[in-house]
Amino acid sequence: MKNISTKVFKGATIYPVDGPKIEDGVMIVEGGKIKAIGSAKDVEIPAVEAPGGNGGEAVEVIDISGKVILPGFVDAHSHVGVWGDGEGSAGYDGNEMGNPIAAKVSALDATNPEQVSFAGAREGGITSLQIIPGSGNPVGGLAFACKTAGTIIDDMVIKNPTGLKGALGENPKRAYGQFFKKAPMTRMGTAGVIRDYFYQVKEYMAQKEAAEVKAAADADEKANDAQARAGETEANGNGGNGAASGPDYNPGLEAGALVMKGEIPFRVHAHRYDDIITAVRICEEFDIPFSIEHCTTGFKVAQFLGERGVFAHVGPGLFSRGKQELADADERNPALLDAAGVKVCLITDHPFLDSRYLLPYAAVAHKHGMPLDRVLRALTLNPAESLGIDDRVGSLAPGKDADFVIMSGEPFTYTSVILSTHIEGEEVYTRPTI
Amino acid sequence: MLAIVNGKVMPVSGEPIEGGAILIRDGKIAAVGKDLKIPSEARVIDADGRPVTPGIIEAHVHIGLGEAGIGWAGADVNESSDPVTAYARAIDGLNPLDTAFDEFRAAGITCANVVPGSGNIIGGTGLAIKCQGTIVDDMVVKNPTGMKAALGENPKGSYGRRNKLPSTRMGSAAVMRETLFKAREYLKKKEKAEGEDDVSKLPKHDKNLEALLPVLRGEIPLHIHCHRADDITTAVRLCREFEVPFVLEHVTEANHIIDLLKGADTHLAIGPTMHYGSKVENRERDFRTPVEVARAGIPFCLITDHPVLHGKYLTMSAGLAVTWGMDYDLALRSVTLSAAEHVGIADRVGSLEVGKDADIVIWSGDPLDYITFADYTIIDGEVAYQREVE
Repeated sequence: MKNISTKVFKGATIYPVDGPKIEDGVMIVEGGKIKAIGSAKDVEIPAVEAPGGNGGEAVEVIDISGKVILPGFVDAHSHVGVWGDGEGSAGYDGNEMGNPIAAKVSALDATNPEQVSFAGAREGGITSLQIIPGSGNPVGGLAFACKTAGTIIDDMVIKNPTGLKGALGENPKRAYGQFFKKAPMTRMGTAGVIRDYFYQVKEYMAQKEAAEVKAAADADEKANDAQARAGETEANGNGGNGAASGPDYNPGLEAGALVMKGEIPFRVHAHRYDDIITAVRICEEFDIPFSIEHCTTGFKVAQFLGERGVFAHVGPGLFSRGKQELADADERNPALLDAAGVKVCLITDHPFLDSRYLLPYAAVAHKHGMPLDRVLRALTLNPAESLGIDDRVGSLAPGKDADFVIMSGEPFTYTSVILSTHIEGEEVYTRPTI
Repeated sequence: MLAIVNGKVMPVSGEPIEGGAILIRDGKIAAVGKDLKIPSEARVIDADGRPVTPGIIEAHVHIGLGEAGIGWAGADVNESSDPVTAYARAIDGLNPLDTAFDEFRAAGITCANVVPGSGNIIGGTGLAIKCQGTIVDDMVVKNPTGMKAALGENPKGSYGRRNKLPSTRMGSAAVMRETLFKAREYLKKKEKAEGEDDVSKLPKHDKNLEALLPVLRGEIPLHIHCHRADDITTAVRLCREFEVPFVLEHVTEANHIIDLLKGADTHLAIGPTMHYGSKVENRERDFRTPVEVARAGIPFCLITDHPVLHGKYLTMSAGLAVTWGMDYDLALRSVTLSAAEHVGIADRVGSLEVGKDADIVIWSGDPLDYITFADYTIIDGEVAYQREVE
């Protein structure tokens, strides 16, 4: 049996996203990675081993003339696998409610790879996504990035964690103010809870640091003492009490420390533009990296956000204005934000837009004025950069993961459909015939 | 008088007419054809080759009842105080100033059947309206169009949570059966009293049973919410028992029971297919259902259930159905004439035919493509929306 180790896709129009569109393109996939990509005249197709050969390495050449290859989509804000899609309450694990600071929880611990929503994501062309806790808590827990195919979530992880969820606006104040009858009951309360949390994080970090400094100093002292009393027996045990004097381990504050150190962003749910401004105010106060989740009426302050080069995870698309904070939603939002320099990532917020329909949402953004190349970027490279996984995914380039979709024709018209989705060279979705 | 000329006229009831024209007089379609004589006094809109279709019709929405961008204050979809609220009338809760109407018109939607929600076994009457106006009574095309009923998760969830009947599917069917039985008895007593011309024999007025009389008399159908195949089967069983007319709403798993539905003398409103799997009963939502129902020849329309899926994405749903194998003409019909048939208003709307209401849309391109704009939306012969081109 031949061991197909190399696949060559030829004849397609390729949008690599980090470079110009390639007509009559060739993409060579080997070992789950992109080995080479370019136009037919620039990329040499390796020889296909004759059938009946020695059974060793072989090359499969797949002619997909007339088709279009895009990078696999990266959905920067999704609840795939944690929201009980089609399962009711038994499968719902989106918000750990009860304490408005739920920083110690991680979406990784609740994600079910066999949830039907993962299949939906693959059908929708999504190959990577950030799974993030819900917006019921002002601080909701840790998010992570993973591929959309697999059985054991840990094997699917690209990066963990990728952010700490925060929330402003109606959701937390409704959950606590109306349901639990406790703080936060207002937008002021929610901001207060978040500020208080980050002060605690700073205090915790300072105590830890002081304890470490003291421990180091004690160790030095002890070393000096030991030198001085060379030969004498240590009577008081070792290590002194330096490390023990630090704060008790607090996983919720540890999560915040990652944000405070700039290692992961605070990802703040904010629909109404004034909530967005509040998010920016708080994050700039603490000098922490952040992204704006939803950014629904961000177009009203597009320049403010653009000047800051903010990553905005915009969506879910195709939704109804079910809450007051969505009242001024406008389908031109992605186009207006993009034009102002905001780094737009189009998100499904699955299940709020079913992952299968990310492409129609992107088409609607295009319909309302976002140029095709910008929309493609908002589906791929922008979110990959926002999640810090662009070294592996988000564009089609040599060395990157072979995550891509094959479409029947040019995006964005409804007659162009996703024929197949590929992750690390494996075909993980094939469009069925009804 | 208004004339649309030089359009790709797609009447839905007949073959497309390239370079076609439509003449509108007194809010009605006066002529449709290729070489129409346009009176000099007519205002002329040059379609410039663009597609011209009947206005899009939403056969099952909650616009004006579940208002956009408001939350609780604007939520009037379910009168959840009792599992039987047949007396409730959507017309009394409908706010024509719901901002979603602006978006409907901008999406080419001219007519909507607004129905109560599915929290109750019998939820009240729905009505068909035009998507233009400020006084709902002036917008009515037909009222009532049907009596909303529901099976499956919603009613048993709503009442079961409160430890009230119904808390199971058995309970839901029992409540519906008992209610229809009482209504039939009530009708018999009324007919007997009227036959004998003896008001003393009239039954005591009952607001729910009174409201159900048009259903028992066969004048309006039950509009039954049912997703799962077994709930659909229960709906058919109940309606056959009482010999009442019925149409079926959502029918997510209809493709499992095609033969039953072929022989059921009913009409299906399928959707919202693009909605997320919020419940176990809509887990299988998929374009497989409308495509297979269409192939089986069962009459159907597509619905958004706005605001569950925003109404403006109805044509997108129809377009996606085409990509999964639905015949294009049938898909366009499913959001126009078939929707009108589902609601019982096809005598007035749903196709471009002489004598029908002049509800017409001129599109920037293929009406089922999600990148297409409605350039003009005309309701009763008046331009209700015109796109500003930047």
